[in-house]
Amino acid sequence: MTKTKRTHPLGLLDHLAKSVKNWWPLLIIILAQSQSWWGKLLIPAAILIFVVWPLISWWSISYRITPTALEFHSGILVRHHEHIPYARIQTVQRKQWFYLAPFHLEEVSVETASHEDGKPEVRLAAVTPDVAALIEHYRQAANATSSDNSVDSAEPATTPAVQASYALTTRPRWQFVLTSTGFIPILLVALGIYGKLPHNLIERLGSDLAHLSGLFLIIGGLAIAVAAWLFTVVMLLIRYFHFRATRTGDQIQVAKGLFQRNTITVPLQRIQAVRFKQNVFRQWIAIQTTQLLLASHAAAEDNNDDLVLLPAVTLQQSYADLQPFVDWTPATPPDLSDLSVTNGRRWLLVRNALLIALVPVAIATWFWPTWNALFDIALVIAFGQGLFAANNTGGSLVGHKLLVLRTGHWWTRETYLVPLAKIQSVRLHQSIWMKRTHLMHLTVNVRHGNRNQAITLRYLTAEQAESIYDWYRTNAI
Amino acid sequence: MSQTQHPLPNRIKLIWGISAIGSLLVLLVVTGLFWLAQTYWDWAAWLTVTMLVIAIGEPIIETALIPYRYRFTRYMISDTAVEMQAGFIFKKRVAIPIARVQNVTLNAGPLLQWRKLSKVTVATASTTHTIEGLELATAEQLRDQIMRLAREARHDQN
Repeated sequence: MTKTKRTHPLGLLDHLAKSVKNWWPLLIIILAQSQSWWGKLLIPAAILIFVVWPLISWWSISYRITPTALEFHSGILVRHHEHIPYARIQTVQRKQWFYLAPFHLEEVSVETASHEDGKPEVRLAAVTPDVAALIEHYRQAANATSSDNSVDSAEPATTPAVQASYALTTRPRWQFVLTSTGFIPILLVALGIYGKLPHNLIERLGSDLAHLSGLFLIIGGLAIAVAAWLFTVVMLLIRYFHFRATRTGDQIQVAKGLFQRNTITVPLQRIQAVRFKQNVFRQWIAIQTTQLLLASHAAAEDNNDDLVLLPAVTLQQSYADLQPFVDWTPATPPDLSDLSVTNGRRWLLVRNALLIALVPVAIATWFWPTWNALFDIALVIAFGQGLFAANNTGGSLVGHKLLVLRTGHWWTRETYLVPLAKIQSVRLHQSIWMKRTHLMHLTVNVRHGNRNQAITLRYLTAEQAESIYDWYRTNAI
Repeated sequence: MSQTQHPLPNRIKLIWGISAIGSLLVLLVVTGLFWLAQTYWDWAAWLTVTMLVIAIGEPIIETALIPYRYRFTRYMISDTAVEMQAGFIFKKRVAIPIARVQNVTLNAGPLLQWRKLSKVTVATASTTHTIEGLELATAEQLRDQIMRLAREARHDQN
C-alpha cells in the first residue's frame, strides 16, 4: 500500500458532523428566518459550509503507508504534510461508530510524543481495518530492528501469541460502574441550577404549602442526585461495554464501547507509569482501578487521560493481575513503609488541611453566623482528609529500577509504579522550619498526556527524601 | 551535592538591581494612570495611595532580597546530571539527568547580552527548569555537553 490514498467516502459524514458541530447556530438562524429575505441570503453560505467545505476537506486528506514512515497530507488553504517514522508512534487508536461497522470501516488516529496540543498527528476518518494492521505491522518491525541488531530481526514480526488477557466480567463490571465518582460534577451543576428554581416554584404553590418547602427541597435534591448517578452508570456501561485488554508480544491493546468501539494499542516501552487508583467508594468494597499513564492523548475520554487497563480488581489481586501485562511490575504488593509519614509527622498534614479549611470557614461564619454548625463540618472533613493523606503516604524502591509511590488526595488513594527510565526529574523542597525538624517534601515528575504529572510525598524525613534523590541522581544515566 | 556547586556569575546582581529599577518605573507609570483616573473620573483616592505604596515598596523589597537570592541560588553540572538549588526560606533542589533532557534553550534579553550572560532553560519530556544567568561560555559549553550526551544516551527511549 505505498500509493497515496484517500479515506473512504463515508468519511464525509465525519467532516459533515464537524461542520455541524462548529456552525449549528447558522442552521437555527436559517430555520428561524426562513421567511425573511436575509434568512434566504444565508442559504448559499450554509451550502458552502455544510456541503462544499466538508467535500473539499475530505478530498484534501490523503495518506500513504510506506515501509519506513506514515505520511499524512491535509489542509485546504494551508497544506500540512506529516511524516511519521514508525519508531516514533506512541499510540494507535481505532474507533468504530456503529454505523461504520456494516461497511467494515473505522477511524484511525496515530499519536507521537510531540508537545503539539489537543489532537492526534494523524486522523483518518474512515478506512478499512487493514490500514491499522499495516501500520501496526511496520511499527513492530521498526521496534524489533531498533532494539536488537541480530541478523534475523529484519524478518517481519509474525503475529505473536496472546500473553495476557482480561475481560470485564459481570460482578466487577457492576462494582466498577456503581462506584464511579463521575456523577459528582454533574450533581454540583444540577444542584446549582436547582438552587435557583424553587423560590418561584414554592411561591406559586401558595402559602399553605410553605411549611412543606424544606421537605420539597430535600426530596428534589435527592432525586437530582439519583438521576445524576444513574446517568453516570448508564454512560459507563455504554463506554465500557465488552471491555477487553490483551497483551500480545510487546504491546497492549484495550478495546471497549457499545455505540463507538474504541481500540487503543500501546507499545509496552511507551508506558510512562502505572497507577492504581481507588476512590472513596471503591475503598469500601476494596477494589481499585489500574491505569496506564501515556505520553499521548489517546485515552482523553477515560478518567483524566489515563488508559484504564483493569477497571475493577480486588486489592489483593492488583499486582498479580498487572504483572502479566507489564513485565517490570512486581507480582506481589511491595512493602511501602520506607517512605511513610508516621507518628508526630501526621499532625503536620492534619494541621495544613485544617489551616486551608479554616480561612473559608471563618469568612463564611462571619457572614452567616447562624449556619456556623454546618461550616464546622468542613473542619471535621479537613481533619479527616489530613489524616487520610498521612496514613496513605507511602513508597519504596523495588529493585534498582522501579519506584513505587502512594498518595492520598481528596479521599482518593493513588499508587504510582514509575520505572527509573521514565522519571523526568526529582525535586526536594524544604522550608526553613522543616530544616530544624529534618523534614522534606519529595516530588517525582513523570510525563502524563501532554503535560507533567508531579507526584509529591509531603513531610518525609530528610533521610528518606534524600535517599530517593540520590538514588535517582546516581542511577539515571 | 557538595563537590562542585557553583554560584551564579556575580554580575547577575547588577542585572537584578536594574530590573528592580525597571519594576519601579513600570509601577510608577501605573500609579500615574491611577492618579489621572482619580482626577478626571473621580476614582477613589485610596486606590492611588495603595498603588503608590506598592510602587515604592515592591522594588525596595526586591532590591533588599538580591544578596539573599544570589547567595542561595546554586547550580551544579556533572557528567550525568544538572542540579539546581534555590531559596533559603523555601529551599528547592532539583535533579535532571542529562539523559532525560530533550532540549536546551539559551535566552538573553538586552541586559543579559550587555553583560555577556545567558539564561539557560533545560526541558525534559514533561518539565522545564531555568538557570537565571550563566556566563555565555559556560552556557554554550553546557548546551554542547548536554547535546553530546543526549546523542549518546538516547536509545530511542520515550
